[in-house]
Amino acid sequence: MTPERKEAVVSEIVRGTPSTYPAWFSARKRSKPLIVSRRVPILLVGLPVLVLLAIVIYPTIWMFYHSLRDTNINHLFSGEHASVGLENYRTVLSSERFHDSLWHLALYLFFGACLQVLLGTLLALIIYEYLKSNLARALILILLVLPMMLPPSIVGTLWRFLLTPSNGAINQALLDLGIISSHIEWFNAGVSLWSIIIADVWNWTALPLLIVYSGRVSLPPAVYEAARVDGAGQWKVLRRITLPMLKEVIAIAFILRFTDAFKFVDLVYVMTSGGPAQSSELPTYIAFQRGIREFAIGEAAAYAIIIFAISAIIVTLFLKYMKRVMKAQGLA
Amino acid sequence: MANITIEGLCKGWDFPVIDDLSVEIEEGEFFVVVGPSGIGKTTLLRLIAGLESADRGRILLGEREVTHLPPYRRRVAMTFESYALYPHLTVFENISSPLRARKKDRATIERRVKAVAQLLRIDHLLDRKPGQVSGGQKQRTALGRTLVADPEVFLLDEPISHLDAKIRQDLRMQFHTLEELRRVATLYVTHDYAEALSLGDRIGVMGNGGKLVQIGSARELFERPKALFVAEHLGQPTINAIPSILQEENGSLFACAENAALRLALSPQQSQRLNGGAKRRIVLGLRPQHVRPADELRGRDSEIDAQIDIFEALGSNGIIITKAGGVTITGLTHPERHFEPGQDLRLAIDTEALHIFDAETGLSLLEEPRWQG
Ligand SMILES: Nc1ncnc2c1ncn2[C@@H]1O[C@H](COP(=O)(O)OP(=O)(O)OP(=O)(O)O)[C@@H](O)[C@H]1O
Ligand SMILES: [Mg+2]
Repeated sequence: MTPERKEAVVSEIVRGTPSTYPAWFSARKRSKPLIVSRRVPILLVGLPVLVLLAIVIYPTIWMFYHSLRDTNINHLFSGEHASVGLENYRTVLSSERFHDSLWHLALYLFFGACLQVLLGTLLALIIYEYLKSNLARALILILLVLPMMLPPSIVGTLWRFLLTPSNGAINQALLDLGIISSHIEWFNAGVSLWSIIIADVWNWTALPLLIVYSGRVSLPPAVYEAARVDGAGQWKVLRRITLPMLKEVIAIAFILRFTDAFKFVDLVYVMTSGGPAQSSELPTYIAFQRGIREFAIGEAAAYAIIIFAISAIIVTLFLKYMKRVMKAQGLA
Repeated sequence: MANITIEGLCKGWDFPVIDDLSVEIEEGEFFVVVGPSGIGKTTLLRLIAGLESADRGRILLGEREVTHLPPYRRRVAMTFESYALYPHLTVFENISSPLRARKKDRATIERRVKAVAQLLRIDHLLDRKPGQVSGGQKQRTALGRTLVADPEVFLLDEPISHLDAKIRQDLRMQFHTLEELRRVATLYVTHDYAEALSLGDRIGVMGNGGKLVQIGSARELFERPKALFVAEHLGQPTINAIPSILQEENGSLFACAENAALRLALSPQQSQRLNGGAKRRIVLGLRPQHVRPADELRGRDSEIDAQIDIFEALGSNGIIITKAGGVTITGLTHPERHFEPGQDLRLAIDTEALHIFDAETGLSLLEEPRWQG
């Protein structure tokens, strides 16, 4: 008997054939909740949906509406704004400033967000693997999480201070170590974006670290024992067991850091205000600048919608990937 | 290929689990460990595999001392009670993992995995992930992963406990002939006494604070248990254990059940072995096999009056649970017979086959009192 045939026979023994199923059985029947009344789920889901409508859906529609109009902040509520069709989008998409900011965003995503996840993963696995005492683990985790608890204004100011070109601590240290021979101008065009990225990595690496660490803690130890008995070396265990089993967790860390990346304005604002000469601007910062500072609500709304579209695409890709991983493991 | 030598092995956490255990298992031998739950069987296997470190004692594989070596330098293959399958790998990749870890070539891996999967009848599941197969199929995958490895020692921790009776029987037969298993030393843990008796070249009964109470062939353990503990652990239905007192009358010994009217005469050989000892408190061990309705067993038997409590007809034999002189005694009968609760009958007891244990120590008074082989 072929394996397929064999399985068919087994399946027939276990599941019978549909023609012999009893009358009450319907494969498409929904299982009804046994305890709560039908009204409870409607209430439980309905209330949050109402709240979402009020604070998320409505403003989003409102924003989309204004992205099609020449709204100025002064006439926001008086209704004196005319439809301009897709003019706002055309302005944004064709502006040099936006193109530059997209490039900055790409750099930030790659060297900021990705680096944070990679670094966090690495640190998490090292801490788990080489620190066996619970006290030491707790202490080092607390230390690493501290930067995350500081408000952005403090982080920005702190790093402005550390990176001061003439007598900042970082430059001084690099000079003393002989790594550089003259001051790095941390806040010049072309460098200021990197200063922001450095500060952000310092600020946020602990988040992916915590996520991956908790994922690693919950992996079943028996699997590792089996691998040790099988004779797999450390490197092999990492590549063939730990990383594959942490795939979803790492994907979650990526999603969180990427969604944050699209909302990232605080450090830009505090450290460089996008300067010098717009050389460290991210799209969101421009939206903020155009809308709140320069009152062009219509254009800012167009920025917001475009950013939203990009981030939605990227996050959807991640979620698709996660779903595939979970499906492959028979979890979803 | 090597034998396992264990010398004075000790291991404990908040209490001593394995205490001064010594045993030698020959190359090619199938050694079965049985014992109650939580006694330390898994711990023993984990010590040999190197997943736990011994507090004291030595473990040798062949001439090589491995007590302090990490697992991958010991060349053992182990099945885990919890299966410990890799959830992200397919059944095929799970089974092949020890081969891949030892860098075998593709064709060998393919061939060996296919062969083992066929043997275990999971060859149609090779592309599935562990999350997509049943519990018994998972267990067979775990067993497959162990069998493909080419170790010096097999450590099998209840490898077929979750399978249906038919596959279990089939696999048991396979184990008898499987060359991989018969070539090297195998340590096999099970709760199923039939499995133990059938498979074990030798059986070690673990008890009494993590010692091997008795080691021997299936026959030896069954017919000449050195302790009540061993007798109680092997055999289905469980041996009748009747607390009694020895009494002497007209030069021959009788065992009288405590606080009950049951009285059994001992044979001259038994009396001689006991060497007097009247008034001594003992536990009488009486296998259900040696208790039958009087019309089924004749000869050198004592007969007693009894009353049926429960009758169970189980395919190949019938079990009668009776009350005789205030003592509950389990016996066997033909399955096609029928008894009603409350029915009176005469029981025949093969007193030649009686076991007599000391009431205090639980040690057999008929066998040489000796702990551990
Ligand atoms: N890591 C540990 N820490 C503390 N105690 C442990 C540990 N592992 C096992 N024990 C204890 O050691 C004893 C023996 O455990 P073990 O798993 O060897 O039992 P077992 O004989 O395999 O039982 P079972 O037949 O139920 O599998 C148990 O009482 C258990 O509670
Ligand atoms: Mg166990």
